[in-house]
Amino acid sequence: MHWIIYAGVAILLWGINGLFMKLGTNRISARSMVIWVTAGFVVLLPWMWKVTSLAGLSTKVFLIGLIAGAVNGLGNWAVFACLEKGAKASVAIPLTALYPLCTVALAMAFLRERPTSLQWIGIALAVAGGAMLSYESAPAAAPQEQMSCAR
Amino acid sequence: MSIEKTRIPIWLGYALLGIFWWGLWGFLSKIGSASANPLQMQILFTLGMLPVAIGMLLQMRGKIDRNRLGISYGLLSGIATGLGTLGYFAALRQQDASVVTPLTGVFPILTVALAFALLRERLNKVQLGGMLLALAAIIIFSI
Repeated sequence: MHWIIYAGVAILLWGINGLFMKLGTNRISARSMVIWVTAGFVVLLPWMWKVTSLAGLSTKVFLIGLIAGAVNGLGNWAVFACLEKGAKASVAIPLTALYPLCTVALAMAFLRERPTSLQWIGIALAVAGGAMLSYESAPAAAPQEQMSCAR
Repeated sequence: MSIEKTRIPIWLGYALLGIFWWGLWGFLSKIGSASANPLQMQILFTLGMLPVAIGMLLQMRGKIDRNRLGISYGLLSGIATGLGTLGYFAALRQQDASVVTPLTGVFPILTVALAFALLRERLNKVQLGGMLLALAAIIIFSI
């Protein structure tokens, strides 16, 4: 299959996922969402294990991967809590998709990576875009959001 | 209540926390992916998420929400994210990351469109402008 189809599948599923996240947190708590989302990931585990194995990985890489997974889980919880507290999916999803800004900052601090000129433009756009996306008072949005999703 | 006084919505605090945790995840992934393939990393991520989920379950003293629709959306969210990631990896096998990643980075547009159509969410003009800037930033970061 052509790569563009695979990329299209990723865009489609990740895009729809933003909706699932909001609809889920309208009904169950952020902590419950973390549990069920993790269960969703586990469903795919046997297939992934069939395709590849963890043999040959060093203990260091193994630990980094596990810690990254735990950190990812905490990130999921924070985003679910953000949605649970009334953020619109159309604000929270583009806003939190700016996380590479933090990755770049960490790479600058700990790996001493120097951002390219283009990345500096990205940083400026991310900060401005994030601030503009956040331009809303949550209390006004929350009840409306909850009601429009209630079934 | 202090939130109202400072006029910083509580959801924004959680969003910033999410950006921090996911940013740290991106940083650790960057280090780990030097010696492991994407699928191996995905397996490790899934295994690493388990203690967090178990911790949440213990924190809730086992009293997990039982709303069936909510549970379904949670499961679907996990499966959609996982399958989407596998699709992304499959695209990377045929095409450079500098082409695939900026393209897949536009996924929030779909979320915004679906939220507009199905959840009747409306963004103000400032937020719309912010979304466009954010998308441009996401694309630039992934090049």
